[in-house]
Amino acid sequence: MRQWRKVLFVWIVLCLLSGCGAHRAKRDLIVLLPDRDGKGGVITVTTEGGSQILDKPGYAIEIEDLNKPPIVPQPIEEKEITDVFGSALSMLPDPASRFILIILYFERDTTKLTRESKDLLAEILRTIKSRRSKEVYVVGHTDLVGKEAYNTGLSSRRANYVRNLLVSSGIKPSTLVVSFYGKARPLVPTQDEVPEPRNRRVEVIVR
Amino acid sequence: MNHSSLRRLFLSLAAVFFMLSISGEATFADPPSTIATVQKVSGKAMVDRQGRTISAKIGLEIFQDDTLRTGPDGSIGVVFNDDTLLSLGPESILVIDEFVFAPRQGKFSIAIRMLKGTVAYLSGLISKLAPESAHIETPTSSIGIRGTKFVARVEGE
Repeated sequence: MRQWRKVLFVWIVLCLLSGCGAHRAKRDLIVLLPDRDGKGGVITVTTEGGSQILDKPGYAIEIEDLNKPPIVPQPIEEKEITDVFGSALSMLPDPASRFILIILYFERDTTKLTRESKDLLAEILRTIKSRRSKEVYVVGHTDLVGKEAYNTGLSSRRANYVRNLLVSSGIKPSTLVVSFYGKARPLVPTQDEVPEPRNRRVEVIVR
Repeated sequence: MNHSSLRRLFLSLAAVFFMLSISGEATFADPPSTIATVQKVSGKAMVDRQGRTISAKIGLEIFQDDTLRTGPDGSIGVVFNDDTLLSLGPESILVIDEFVFAPRQGKFSIAIRMLKGTVAYLSGLISKLAPESAHIETPTSSIGIRGTKFVARVEGE
């Protein structure tokens, strides 16, 4: 019994120190905003009490307390965003100098580019040359059909195929950084074994 | 204590020292390298580094373990090496615990602690190349970031 009394005492002291039960006027607030390409990403907010996913731009998660799960995402008004975050947002540096992303798509289970994507190769070369880029990332992916190991291999072949195309078009090999993720990072999330042309891709990121 | 247990003690002590010397080397071998640069400053904004406080100016280089702080009228915007953009509104405190951007080694990591105030964040290449590797901790939560733009307010202690 004495031990319980000790636990209760410690609990009360901790409560006094941390202000248990005291209502806070404001709560922590996290708002997802649209990216420049209009697409929002995904944020996962986790407290001791649980976790929430924020994947709709213009929606917000509030956190009352670290021991409670975050509050389910709610839409938030433009005005509130400006009122609370106007100052921080106005100081976000200009994104003009950032990278350019071009996505090449492939025919199912091959390293054969779709017709539309073949036409993009000239644009990639132009972009690398006009930026005098010394860093180009070539990242291979597959859709979710098939086993993981097979898709890792396929994504590697796709990425290296694009890399070799660029090298044979005169881009220095030291400029190119190849990586591949198989079926682990679909652009369009689907169930396993679902064929999805938009996931059979190589992302070329020109810095 | 007999002979063999003494020997075991000696061996385990030696192992501990060996481990310490390795980890020490990994931490101190390289001089600190720039991980970000200040691009915008308004009002009072500071960088705390190894017990010193530096007044933030455009072009100031930021290192791992730096703390960014703003005054009641202050705000600051920085660009990380991977083109992640981050800015703070007034009365904010943010600690950069870790920033690793080494694409050729396949190493990526962002670990930031937002202790107080308002922050705006637009993810860069790390979120494109390794989407699971960016995290912001707040006093109440952990925010996992997969390639996106967001803002957060942290009430702090």
